[in-house]
Amino acid sequence: MNSLFVRRPGTRALVWALLTSLLVLYGFPFVYLLLTSFKTPLDTIAVPPTVLPHRWTTANYTSALHRGGVVASFVNSLTTATLSTVLSLLIAVPAAYGITRFRTFSGRVFIMGALVARMVPPVAVGIPLLSMIRALGLIDTPTGVAIAHTTVSLPLSIWLMASFFEAVPDELDEAAVVDGCGRLEALWHVVLPVVAGGLAVTAIFAFLASWNEFLFALLLTAVRAQTTPIVIANFQTQFGLDWGAMTALATMYSVPVILLTLILQRHIVAGLTLGAVKG
Amino acid sequence: MRRADDRTFATLLMAPAAVFLGVFVAWPLVRLVIDSFYRISPIAGGPRSFVGLDNYLRALRSSTFTSAAVRTVAYTGLVVSAEFVLGLAAALLFSMLGARSTVFRTVFLYPLMIAPVVAGLLWRFLLIDNFGIVNELLSRAGILSGADAIGWLSNPDIVLLSVAIPDIWLTTSFMTLVIFAGLQNIAADVLEAARIDGAPPASMLLRIILPLLRPVIAVALIVRGIDAAKAFDIILIQTKGGPENASQTLSLLIYQTMIRFSDPGLASAMATMYLVVMLLVATVAVWFIWRPGTAQR
Repeated sequence: MNSLFVRRPGTRALVWALLTSLLVLYGFPFVYLLLTSFKTPLDTIAVPPTVLPHRWTTANYTSALHRGGVVASFVNSLTTATLSTVLSLLIAVPAAYGITRFRTFSGRVFIMGALVARMVPPVAVGIPLLSMIRALGLIDTPTGVAIAHTTVSLPLSIWLMASFFEAVPDELDEAAVVDGCGRLEALWHVVLPVVAGGLAVTAIFAFLASWNEFLFALLLTAVRAQTTPIVIANFQTQFGLDWGAMTALATMYSVPVILLTLILQRHIVAGLTLGAVKG
Repeated sequence: MRRADDRTFATLLMAPAAVFLGVFVAWPLVRLVIDSFYRISPIAGGPRSFVGLDNYLRALRSSTFTSAAVRTVAYTGLVVSAEFVLGLAAALLFSMLGARSTVFRTVFLYPLMIAPVVAGLLWRFLLIDNFGIVNELLSRAGILSGADAIGWLSNPDIVLLSVAIPDIWLTTSFMTLVIFAGLQNIAADVLEAARIDGAPPASMLLRIILPLLRPVIAVALIVRGIDAAKAFDIILIQTKGGPENASQTLSLLIYQTMIRFSDPGLASAMATMYLVVMLLVATVAVWFIWRPGTAQR
């Protein structure tokens, strides 16, 4: 406990009050989205708007799910994010291990390179990537989008995994090698189990980076491989302003990841603040 | 000195990542720079002709490009400073409550996981002129004269501020978490000593807490600054850059030059300048403030 902690009851009550009002303000937008998704389609755009539904109904959900392409887009989002996460981890784990364990000059250059890659604006990569993915015949496929998403999640994954490997003492895998383990076996059987938590955090971030991504998915898909963010965005142009269905679909897309966050809260906070606080 | 086979092994481990980043990040960027010197037909496989620096001159001479650049800087400054002030305030409040703040911190975390597209659409819905709940609540509270008194997303004078709101809402949590973690690492006796000396809270914050948090704050500002300068979907979904281009930042302009105005050469020249400035600013910031890798051992 640090000594900013206040004990005086009056001050504490004030802090509680301030924080509560801050959180009500902060939480309101999503609560309003949830409440709106259960209104009747007409009440959604009623003037003046009300916070609570007059009548609770799941009509918005039914209409959103019956839209062509909505269910398929969920499958696409899930497939793309899974592919991208697996690809990202497969490449990032050995790279981060190589960087932190052997401390070569190329390793230091590499980690800086990964950092620089994070600064590149997606729109700069996206334009030439479009013609590359087209040339590879991967346009409008989950694989093509997953490759593009991995350009974002790979640098982040390398960075995170390097921080987790840093925390494991070198003696651990050196002992394993002395005991007759091959180098890769030492990584696989001895070091990876130790950083399993970090691996999970990295996987979550890689998954979320793909799940929530918009620009690459917009550039690289037409119909078949569209992910849900693209479908949500199209609700406003294709069908006029269908706010009711939009709120329902947005809720369905966000609630699973929000629940995941709340369950894995501790790990996610560790991943977010890592590097920043350590570095 | 490391043994030679160690070095080979390390190189082998890094090779797949190097190949991937080389093929799918570095090579596209090389292509981008090459394309910026050509006038290119938007049809795939269409004709292209070398025009030298013409695309760059066209971009720099157009006020569309320069004002989009100014807007990008303004947007980034706005988002990052708002997040910093709010994030610092929330982190200090959390610290004042000690362990009891866990529930609050959990709730505070949730917008981080929401897709920017969803956040943008949600706020567009909240801020919309006629049936938006924000104006309705503000006018019921007596702050606005009527529910249509402010056109958040339709008034060119304030739209850049309005499109920044969902971005601020989405990632203030990140700033809070990082600063909160930094606050936990400040030695208790430093603050205790200052308090016994009778330092007023404001000078404790300015003279002790902020200087001690400097490295943490620097990293948080850099990370968020880079992300805010890249903002695309969150703005596109709210205004498409309008009205009257008043919320058109560089990412949007480049995308629209490419897709809507079908001018890949000009879009590439704009993107190249954007990329170079981003890399320069970010590298200088990282190099002088953060120095990753050196502080860790």
